[in-house]
Amino acid sequence: MVDPLQSTLRIAGSGLEAQSVRLRIISENIANAESTGDTPGADPYVRQTISFDNVLDRSINAPLVRVRTIGRDDAPFKIEHDPGNPAADSGGFVKLPNVDVLTELADMREANRTYEANLQVAKQSAELLGMTVSLLKDA
Amino acid sequence: MAIDGISAVGAIGKSLELTPANRTGTVAATGQSGLVDAIGKAFNDAVGQVQAGEAASIQGLQGGMPAYKVVDAVMGAQRTLQSMLAIRDKAVSAYQEISRMQI
Repeated sequence: MVDPLQSTLRIAGSGLEAQSVRLRIISENIANAESTGDTPGADPYVRQTISFDNVLDRSINAPLVRVRTIGRDDAPFKIEHDPGNPAADSGGFVKLPNVDVLTELADMREANRTYEANLQVAKQSAELLGMTVSLLKDA
Repeated sequence: MAIDGISAVGAIGKSLELTPANRTGTVAATGQSGLVDAIGKAFNDAVGQVQAGEAASIQGLQGGMPAYKVVDAVMGAQRTLQSMLAIRDKAVSAYQEISRMQI
């Protein structure tokens, strides 16, 4: 039988990994919020989305979280009239990425909170394991 | 008579000696599980885990491993070492308890 506290550490670890990938995707979206195509009329950067999935870890018989897919957001691009831009089409319109920085920031805050929650779980179980071992020590 | 008594105590002391030859001679012969062997084996495992933690931390410094994995490996090594030390202390105090026994 696997120690439930050890399993908890493992599960929280998978949460940390998933949330750090989420944070990475958000940072890619924010960094590329103004990335246009390199030829006239070309499509700009497409916002990436992330979704999660539970996967059974047979060694501890508990569901871990993993990244299911990193997909593309199908929302329409923003169009801006900017004839001087190298990516502008014949009408002078430029396609800008479908990234809304405000949405990304809200999403980032959520990823941050979830990461912190997983950290707290890991901290608690490590502390409890340590306290249990210290029962062996003389007072 | 007095000298006989002292040599008897000496014999008991010999049977408690923890030399490898003596261990195989007495502990194994009586068919009991060798506590010392078990502790030794567990210590070897602990050393392995500490080395794994070290390797993880070096890899982490080079950026080849996620931070939480490094932390988990190092904390695992620390926990194992602490458990082993606590168990060793218990075993040592048990032997001390035996050596203080009234004969």
